[in-house]
Amino acid sequence: MNLAGYCQGTHEHLPEEQRKAQRSAIRLQIVTVVYTVVTIVLVVLVMGSSQAMKTAWIEDMLSLLPQLAFFIALFFIRKPSSVRHPYGQHRAMGIGHLVAGVALLTVGASLVVQSSISLITAEHPTIGTVTLFGEAVWLGWLMIAVMAVTAVGPPILGRMKAKVAAKLHNKVLFADADMMKADWHTNIATILGVFGVGIGLWWLDATAAIVISVGIIADGLRNTKSALADLMDRRARTYDGEEPHPVTRSVLRVARDATWAQEAGVRVRDQGQVLHIELFVVPALNHVELEWFGPLIDAVRDIDWKIHDVVIVPTDPLPPYADTDKQVSRGRP
Amino acid sequence: MPRSKPYGRGRLGVAALAAVVVALAGCGIQIPADPDGTLDSVENGTLRVGVAAEPGLAEYHDGEAAGTLVDVAHRFAQELNADIEWSSHSEERLVAMLEGDDLDLALGGFTDSSPWSDRVGMTRPVTGIPGTDDPIVMLVPMGENAFLDALERHLDAETTS
Repeated sequence: MNLAGYCQGTHEHLPEEQRKAQRSAIRLQIVTVVYTVVTIVLVVLVMGSSQAMKTAWIEDMLSLLPQLAFFIALFFIRKPSSVRHPYGQHRAMGIGHLVAGVALLTVGASLVVQSSISLITAEHPTIGTVTLFGEAVWLGWLMIAVMAVTAVGPPILGRMKAKVAAKLHNKVLFADADMMKADWHTNIATILGVFGVGIGLWWLDATAAIVISVGIIADGLRNTKSALADLMDRRARTYDGEEPHPVTRSVLRVARDATWAQEAGVRVRDQGQVLHIELFVVPALNHVELEWFGPLIDAVRDIDWKIHDVVIVPTDPLPPYADTDKQVSRGRP
Repeated sequence: MPRSKPYGRGRLGVAALAAVVVALAGCGIQIPADPDGTLDSVENGTLRVGVAAEPGLAEYHDGEAAGTLVDVAHRFAQELNADIEWSSHSEERLVAMLEGDDLDLALGGFTDSSPWSDRVGMTRPVTGIPGTDDPIVMLVPMGENAFLDALERHLDAETTS
């Protein structure tokens, strides 16, 4: 007979679908890293003195950060909970996310300043020729070619990642996918900037660089905001942050189905890829039996693979900050 | 957060870009172009060349320029049907003149590790200039890309023939 008022899953117990998703997430991340490194090398080969190219290049390098955060976090979130880390180490994902977001913000801001200085001091970008197969070719054409070619991959990879992120309830992956889907903006801006230099409109280059930098800042803001919300233990929301997580409602329904429960409230926090649940139950009688807990714990755990840690607290009254269905159905807090 | 529709807007962007390229090609605009029209004023006009003395490569005595780089400049001017207006100054003065649009071309023992690279434009390094083993660059005004294009093509033709 199970008398425990708690349970905690081990992270390896992902259902088959999620295990597959995790594997394809890792594959996608590796493909992305390789693609990005190739892009970085190609861009630096043709960079010249275009501010837009330089900014796009730095953005490419920055885009490796979320990938890096993902891989480092993957190592930590597999570790089981211990007395030292009683909640497990799932927060590693959120910390990586935050670091990536802040890095994007600061570098984006510094790039806006640099590009603005270029624009204000009317620095005319010098783009000469290179010898290609014994023929002199304007370097700008090569820049445009590289930017056009490298624009193709990220939107496709981003779309694939967004699907996997939804299955895994992984916000780092989701934010990363969102960034990649918008990555072609950078390429178009760079192409316009370089083309502008080609037709003598020198200011288009720095202007494009500013547009790209503002995009980097926006990415940084989005990532930082989402990471902070989780780290601050905001009420759990869906992977895209759009709405409160539906698990809350399911847990409440299951709890109220228990014959001994008169009322129930719940506190759900998002640990990155999994949810930790504190379930407050007001018993119908003035006493509780340990035997009542086991079946309820099992029922809650079976709701969703994301439910990683459950604790039941018999109480009367419910804490005022606990989610009850009524508050949930009243909409966005 | 708002959902973007990358593909839809992407196609629009590419189409717009293609339209601009076609329109400009139709107008016969030269790419790359000079924002300040250096090549235009040099062609069938005057090429203002500054010399930073470097023995054998570029020297200037009593109003007469001589040296292997000076010879290159002569042939470049000939190609553009331009007269040359010579002057000789310190490197720093030449760079300031290029920045102030008082000069079109500076010659001397400049290499691609020149510290002036963020204030002036540079040609690709050329090897095979008689009188030196170093890869030599010439300095041009920043961003005058049509002029730079013409100069680099001339240097290519000189060093390969």
